[in-house]
Amino acid sequence: MTTDDDRIAYLAGETSGERLDEPERAELDEVRSLLADPSTWAEPPADLEASVVAAVGEAARPLASRPTPRRTRRPALGLVGVAAAVVALVVLVGPGGEPTNLEAVLVGTELAPGAEGQAVLTKTDAGWRIELDATGLPRLDDGRFYQAWLKPDDGEAVPIGTFNEPDGVVLWAGVSPKEYPTLTVTAESASDGTAASGDRVLGGPVTEP
Amino acid sequence: MPAPGGGHGGVSREEVVGFRAGDPDSVRAVYGAYGRLVYAVAHRTLGSRELAEEATQQTFVKAWQAASSFDPERELGPWLATIARRTAIDLHRREARRPVAELSDAVLNDQVVVDMPPGVDRAYDVWAVREAIDALPDDERTVVQLQHLHDLTQSEVAERLGIPIGTVKSRSYRAHRTLAARLQHLRDVVE
Repeated sequence: MTTDDDRIAYLAGETSGERLDEPERAELDEVRSLLADPSTWAEPPADLEASVVAAVGEAARPLASRPTPRRTRRPALGLVGVAAAVVALVVLVGPGGEPTNLEAVLVGTELAPGAEGQAVLTKTDAGWRIELDATGLPRLDDGRFYQAWLKPDDGEAVPIGTFNEPDGVVLWAGVSPKEYPTLTVTAESASDGTAASGDRVLGGPVTEP
Repeated sequence: MPAPGGGHGGVSREEVVGFRAGDPDSVRAVYGAYGRLVYAVAHRTLGSRELAEEATQQTFVKAWQAASSFDPERELGPWLATIARRTAIDLHRREARRPVAELSDAVLNDQVVVDMPPGVDRAYDVWAVREAIDALPDDERTVVQLQHLHDLTQSEVAERLGIPIGTVKSRSYRAHRTLAARLQHLRDVVE
């Protein structure tokens, strides 16, 4: 019968484990391999703490006072990820009382359950500028692409642009998100022509708080 | 999953509440308790220091953003480990930029839309082992590191550290006894 000392000695690499049965050796081999793995011992750089504190502090600032999100490695704002379809919005109101700045949280659908993202919608003279970032969606190429839409509560969705991967995408809408308050992303194929595929991968509502 | 260890790994309930509010001192406290573990999981999954740093930063930001849904009575470690793992997976997918063949044919939970990095299946085990290592006294941890990571014999460890081999043996025994006991749940998972 093996003892704790037999297991300890094998774990320490002092014996060949001949007194252990195969399942015990396999279990301890798992631990030994992790003890030998450089990742297990990897130390974060000393300045990472400050970066983390700064990043959380930036995220905790009121949305209205934040600059437009930039994709930088450090400090990075990080994407707004939520467990449920919760919408985080800020509305800046222009001189006429109409919102000029909106945000939306996007969650993945059954086709892409790991996807999530955010969009910042800004009113300009040229239309609504929409900056979209998302993760969990693979790049599409070779005639396949993503398409974003703004959809009203009733009626047809309006296309606002196509892209290959949702990384720092800028889209434009000639309709108001107030009247088309749902933003969706679908996966499309050029061979299908202009008809929408209906394959929603990401979506979320755009509303006033 | 990381085994429950009771409490929040040295983080007080007040600091957890403060973390939810984005209080810098509380964020430092949570990072101090879990930053290394998050980084180890990220590094294991991504295999890159730069990406591991980015994943670690994003993990804490995402944790703060989701903190309102976190019950302060629960274990913080497993919750952070899950966020760290998921964040590393997302970063891996972003960096890999692999196309999915037929997204429209994918069904719920179809693996064709799940692009998993090679080290992710042991992410929770890395967390548990790193947590166990960090809990060792410094002198024992050094011996374990030299034995396993640097693959030194006990004689070589003694020579490297300039201490008697008997001291190395006793430190090694105590350390591995502790590790074997703490990592029992890993063995249960493997079974």
